[in-house]
Amino acid sequence: MLFPKKSVWALLHALAIVAVLSALATGLRIAVLDYPFLLALNHFLPQGQMHALHLYAGALISLVALLYVLLSLSRALPNTLRPKLKKKSGRFQLVLSYCMRVALSLLLISGWLLFFEPESSAIDAIKKVHFYAAVFMLIYLVLHSAGYYLEYGATILAWISKPFLKLTRRTVAISLLMCVLLVIFIKVIVQQHHQLQVLTIDENKHIEIDGLMSEALWQQAEAITVQTHSGANFEHGSGATPVTIRALQNGHDIYMHFRWRDETKSLEHLPLIKTEQGWKVLQQGFKDFDERRYYEDKFAVILSDSCELNAAGTAHLGPKPLKDKPKHWTGKGYHYRKHGLVDLWQWKAVRSNSMQLMDDNYIGEPVEARAGERRYTAGYQQDAKESGAYKMNWQWFYSDGIVPKRLAINKQNLAPYQGLANESAAFSTLSSLDLDLDLDLDSDLDSDSDSDSDSDSDSAQATPWVLPWFDSQAYQAQQDDYAPGSIMPSILYVSNQFEGDRAHVRAFARWQQGYWSLELFRKLDTQSVKDIAISDGVCMWVAAFDRSQIAHTRHTRPIELNIQ
Amino acid sequence: MMPFCKRLALLIFIAVVIYFSLYEHVPEQSAPARFVKIDRFGELVDNWHGPWACIYDSKTGLVWENKSDDESIHDALWTYSWQQQQYGVENGGDCYFELDRCDTADLIRRANNEASCGIDQWRLPSAVELRSIVNPSPKAGQASIYNDFFPHTKRGDYWSSEHERVLTGVYKHLGHGAVAIDFISGEQRVIPYRNAAFVRLVSRPDKKLTRKLEQALKAKQR
Repeated sequence: MLFPKKSVWALLHALAIVAVLSALATGLRIAVLDYPFLLALNHFLPQGQMHALHLYAGALISLVALLYVLLSLSRALPNTLRPKLKKKSGRFQLVLSYCMRVALSLLLISGWLLFFEPESSAIDAIKKVHFYAAVFMLIYLVLHSAGYYLEYGATILAWISKPFLKLTRRTVAISLLMCVLLVIFIKVIVQQHHQLQVLTIDENKHIEIDGLMSEALWQQAEAITVQTHSGANFEHGSGATPVTIRALQNGHDIYMHFRWRDETKSLEHLPLIKTEQGWKVLQQGFKDFDERRYYEDKFAVILSDSCELNAAGTAHLGPKPLKDKPKHWTGKGYHYRKHGLVDLWQWKAVRSNSMQLMDDNYIGEPVEARAGERRYTAGYQQDAKESGAYKMNWQWFYSDGIVPKRLAINKQNLAPYQGLANESAAFSTLSSLDLDLDLDLDSDLDSDSDSDSDSDSDSAQATPWVLPWFDSQAYQAQQDDYAPGSIMPSILYVSNQFEGDRAHVRAFARWQQGYWSLELFRKLDTQSVKDIAISDGVCMWVAAFDRSQIAHTRHTRPIELNIQ
Repeated sequence: MMPFCKRLALLIFIAVVIYFSLYEHVPEQSAPARFVKIDRFGELVDNWHGPWACIYDSKTGLVWENKSDDESIHDALWTYSWQQQQYGVENGGDCYFELDRCDTADLIRRANNEASCGIDQWRLPSAVELRSIVNPSPKAGQASIYNDFFPHTKRGDYWSSEHERVLTGVYKHLGHGAVAIDFISGEQRVIPYRNAAFVRLVSRPDKKLTRKLEQALKAKQR
């Protein structure tokens, strides 16, 4: 016999065990981002870069499943390998086995769909199918193995391992060949980048960075749409939004345009509210660095010479992926590179939009932890700046109350912000304010956002949610006669713009009819050691934030820039 | 039946072990550090709390003035010409808290009157003392200092107390100047008294504060 049936079955079974356990371990670690309660399984889950491993494990399961089907159809597998079970447990394992086949099919279909990024409106449902099928697989593994163990004890291990002794060289050789082919297959699959053709334009053509995309050249540029998901908020709380991208370059500079759906224009960035006890910051998760309600909209772009999965190999999951560094505050993980750096630009609807800039940051190697800093950010760092900035208007942040650095010289300047206070009248009466806001208050604030969403983008500029430094004066308690319920922006604008390395990316966005439209400009090569020089083959990732601090959308496959 | 019961017991045991191995995520607490924050009343402040007015350095036993952005006398933006007693140049710097412009003697006088952190013996640091808080690995683009305890530090020259040093090069014609530490490179140089440079005052804690600091540090180490 060329391929002993039992040996082939045992080999497939062993491969399936390895692949399913690996996929479950890496997948559950990834799922912690959406289901934080899974952190309870931390001791059983690996930490670090998970996405590539998860893809390999999923591909191995696919291969085993495919071989199982083909070999079964060609009757190359034994009808049964197991010892004869008692009638009841035999029926139980049979039913379990059929359920597993359904769950496995759902897992594989949903997994590959997620890799190839379906419509953002469907992603949430597909992710849920993938997650619940995985949970069933976990339950299946427990019941399947415990059932056999209860009936046969440790001898069951001999049943599934004995056929290995009869493996022929030919079977082993073919198995190894299969594995090599699988690795090649994965290598080919991960090369399936989105391709963005960057239109070459004359260097004398002028592009206004105004968020309008009004120049005819933009219409000539190829547009691609990337489905991003796994963020916070967005449409019906799906956390997903499609991002349409165009790019132009003139040999010296690159212009990019991003358009993404966001029903609510969120500018209320951690507003300050006066209570009977003093000023407080409106927040629900900011104290744990994970605000998802009172935060500005944001958009981020990563650029890298590397096209590795995992946002250029920067996402390291788990509470402590770095042994010699502090635990991640929420246990989800850090962004950092093991070597070198990637460029990270962050547009912020309030803090950077009025400066007409994106905040030029980078993700590099993990920095040293500093004893005086509560939040450690590993490789995520800001480029240096010479001057210019915004400051947060509190002397020190405490969730139960703050002392502002400054108060508006003219209270009338704060009038546009008081609508929020009026609609949240609860604040002025609840003297014992608990900032873990109740649902009624939330719905009030939501309705405020809805009315905001009907306004046009120009009116958004009328309420910029910033307090200019020179329209304010240093805080003195005796001059603080603001009534309870008063609202004040928390962002102090010290000067118009950053200067220096941090100001390399000029950008401006407008919100209109449920979409943000962001235009940006940067030199192809800034000569900065903290920036990536943009050239043909550089890869890009994008992420949108809907009034969330760190919960951003993401996509698996990089966007490769094609520059002639 | 017995083997079945044994196997069941083993499985239950494994389940119990797994249950007690479940992880509860608790962020790390602040660790003991070289520096200790002190508020303006002389009370110690936890590493992750604030605001604070002074910083105690357990390595040198010195207490440093913390700079701020509140337009008080401690604002980090204010600059000073070097002036003490009969030496230096008066009112060559920029600040909001004097009717005229500012010099180092103005800040020392004001700080001692204010007695922030319970200290009224503020003075200019020596060059060695200033260099002791230079950190060659600061946060990207920030001043070469321990940025987590010394925020608002400017990338520029900070005056030391050392004066009557001979000026050289382009400043030679001005005769004498004082030593400053550059918080970009961490190097020291002699610059003219008239220059507008930054100042961070220093002092030794009194016995009461020293006792409090020692007790707090011991408690943290425990």
